[in-house]
Amino acid sequence: MASTEDDRQVRISKIAGRYLVFDIDDVAYIRRQHGICAVFTGTMPQNPTQNVFLGLPLELYAEDAKMLLDRKVAYIADDPLEHFNKLKSMGAETRKSYLQSIKTQRRTAQLVFDEAKAQSQARHKDKRKPKQPPVVVPTELPPAPVADNTAVEQEEGGEESLFESSSSKPVKTAPVALQKPPVKEKLPALTPTTSNAMIHNGTSNPDVENHNVLPLYSYLNERGYFITPGLRFGGDFSVYPGDPFRYHAHYMANSYGWDEKIPMLDLVTSGRLGTAVKKSFLMGGQKPATDDSEAGELRAFCIEWAGM
Amino acid sequence: MPLDDDLEDNPSLAPPPATTNSTSDPSTTMEEDIEEAEDAATADFRLFASTYSKTKNISAQTIRKGEKDFESHGTRAQQSALDASREAMRDVLSYTRVHHTAKTGGWCRGWIFPDWWREWPEDWEEMKVKEAEEKRKEGKQDGDDKEERKTLPPPRRRCMAVTGLPKDRPARGREWLLPEEALYLVERGSLDLWWPTRGIEEIFPADGSVPTTTTALPKEDGGQQDDDDEEDDDDDEYKYGFPLSLQAAYALLIGEDGERGKVSLQKFQVFSNLKRAGYNVIRAPSNPLPVQEDNTQLATAQAKPKSVTEWLISCLPQSKSSSPGDPPPYGPLVPPGLYRSYNTIYNHLSLRPAPNQQLPSSTPSPPTTSPSSTSRENDTPFKIHYHIYKASTKFVRTRPPPPDFYLSVIDAQQTSVPSFSEISNLLASAPADLPKTEWLTGGPGRLYARLKHGYRNVLLAVNDHGVINYMRFAEGGFRKEELFRGFDARISPGPKRGGGGGRGGARGGKFSGNNGRGRRGRGGGRGGGRGGRGGRGRGN
Repeated sequence: MASTEDDRQVRISKIAGRYLVFDIDDVAYIRRQHGICAVFTGTMPQNPTQNVFLGLPLELYAEDAKMLLDRKVAYIADDPLEHFNKLKSMGAETRKSYLQSIKTQRRTAQLVFDEAKAQSQARHKDKRKPKQPPVVVPTELPPAPVADNTAVEQEEGGEESLFESSSSKPVKTAPVALQKPPVKEKLPALTPTTSNAMIHNGTSNPDVENHNVLPLYSYLNERGYFITPGLRFGGDFSVYPGDPFRYHAHYMANSYGWDEKIPMLDLVTSGRLGTAVKKSFLMGGQKPATDDSEAGELRAFCIEWAGM
Repeated sequence: MPLDDDLEDNPSLAPPPATTNSTSDPSTTMEEDIEEAEDAATADFRLFASTYSKTKNISAQTIRKGEKDFESHGTRAQQSALDASREAMRDVLSYTRVHHTAKTGGWCRGWIFPDWWREWPEDWEEMKVKEAEEKRKEGKQDGDDKEERKTLPPPRRRCMAVTGLPKDRPARGREWLLPEEALYLVERGSLDLWWPTRGIEEIFPADGSVPTTTTALPKEDGGQQDDDDEEDDDDDEYKYGFPLSLQAAYALLIGEDGERGKVSLQKFQVFSNLKRAGYNVIRAPSNPLPVQEDNTQLATAQAKPKSVTEWLISCLPQSKSSSPGDPPPYGPLVPPGLYRSYNTIYNHLSLRPAPNQQLPSSTPSPPTTSPSSTSRENDTPFKIHYHIYKASTKFVRTRPPPPDFYLSVIDAQQTSVPSFSEISNLLASAPADLPKTEWLTGGPGRLYARLKHGYRNVLLAVNDHGVINYMRFAEGGFRKEELFRGFDARISPGPKRGGGGGRGGARGGKFSGNNGRGRRGRGGGRGGGRGGRGGRGRGN
């Protein structure tokens, strides 16, 4: 699997200064290979009235974007511009292929629907089957298994054979059978998640604006830590020892300048805060670049509240 | 907090309670809360997958096993659990938004006309609001060729949930959506957003008539059925445009702050967060209309004497202290003499006039008090961006009632703590939201509730890369809550207050027992007692 992922280029959509990822494969890839979980920000279409589980797009930190760029596994696309240009002047064949891909997806969706429907009907039948034998005892048993076997391919037949046998509930099944033909004729409309079908190869736009990228971030990431926004716990970052699916955060991290004076009260505040949420307070800073050495050393410290 | 983000979600969906230590010590509720919040942050999608589709074979026990570990111990079990979680995430998020034509909700198609509003010179948001209003007034027949911009779905039930249209409105008129509304609908799978390849005049002719040649358009009531019949004809179907992806919708609708026809990502995230939580959210007009709210409520409530005697007493020292600034240059602040009321003494003790004595009276929201620095004021992110209504508030989009909350959206990384002028401007742009009158009655009344509620308040939504916290800034008047008035009330039992003096004095806490008037008396006693210490401290 890793071999196929090796040459993957993650498309990072830069929209209004924010870095978003729309492709679920990209999301899974950077999570698995690069230890970036970031934050899901979108509404889940499956269940849009809750705030616990959120979906695409994924919003990256600028630090994430820069890190992925440095590792040469991603490119940053100016999505608004690209989309606008593409939509404004869409060539005939692009349009055709785009529409074709949408149509294919729609057909697939229709197939999936039909299948799900067939399955649910089959299950429905299964459920009803046990009820029937008591009503009309032995003679009706043979048709039912037959209907079961053919259910996936041609539910109509199965439906009817069942229909005849089930004298108890003919009213319920009838509308379903009648509804089916019109449903099959039209394809459902759909909204694709990504524009991959329209914009195939994004032009890499390497200028990540200097967004005050904190060196502590990539330092921690390189050591296998996962990082999410620190807003929940009152620091710059929440730092997890592994994928947050499995672990609680261990640290609440703040980034400081190398020579920055840190008020003692800040330490007390953050230390207490971290302890209160069962994290330890981590702070780190990078040695500034000097004339002879450009890559500064980064030091990180942990502070825990000693409950004397 | 009325607007706590994560905790009021559907409890059935909430992840299993926190794991490592908190299960052992249920006493530390706060820590558990935090742990829960964290769980929400990293919600395990396996749970979601199990609630969403029953076909997935994920038993309750699997979910139970999904509790987090403290650290990696390199076992295969741990790895497989992680893989399962990731796989579930992938499964759940691979979902494609499909618009079921057959479903009751119907298919809701929107068109985006990004150029349409460009020629409109004025502030767009304002425009939008106004036009929408106008359109509704004059009937929806000729709404198309007018102005506005975003999308024109024949409004159906789901859209109404967002736009708050009256139910009986014919599905005929075109509705223009704000970018955040359109994007929210696309994201939740309720709207199919299309890019037009023809002009708006062609798609929606000005006369409002149904273009007979174009049956493929979602024009009028019942048009949907016709639509479906023609759908197999590809040429017709994509004659006027084609559907856009979610990514394209983001690209077209998300923009920098202040960019016309777009909404910033932070604001959109807050908007959809609130919508998901069930609130009604509308954009605040950029020039807030003065909200006509009477400040008589507070004035009368404050001026109303609790009893005649108290009123008499309170009259005296106030007339005296109305000329402040003349304490004797030497000697004790409280000259020796006979005092019958605490009010007099406390008024003697107060050396400085209250700084903002007149503040709560400025109830109607003036357009933010603009001194010379109007340009700086425009830059400040601390503005009211959204009006929020609780789901229980009866809400009509055309005539929105006064909002339940005023909300300002702040980016966590780019803004710092508001300066005093910023916060006071922000508060000034919200109309007064006075404490309930019940809280004012009887001595100190519910002093702390009053102080906490303040005279007006604004919610701040702090957005850190999609993680949102809400906090409330309220303007309260400590100086207005004069604790010592309660002391007098206790000493001289007025005709209204039953019970009687009892021990009285500064330690009001003891008083509650022998007051005949249950609830009110108790509240008064407690408030006075606790506050008494504070009062003394300040008096010195």
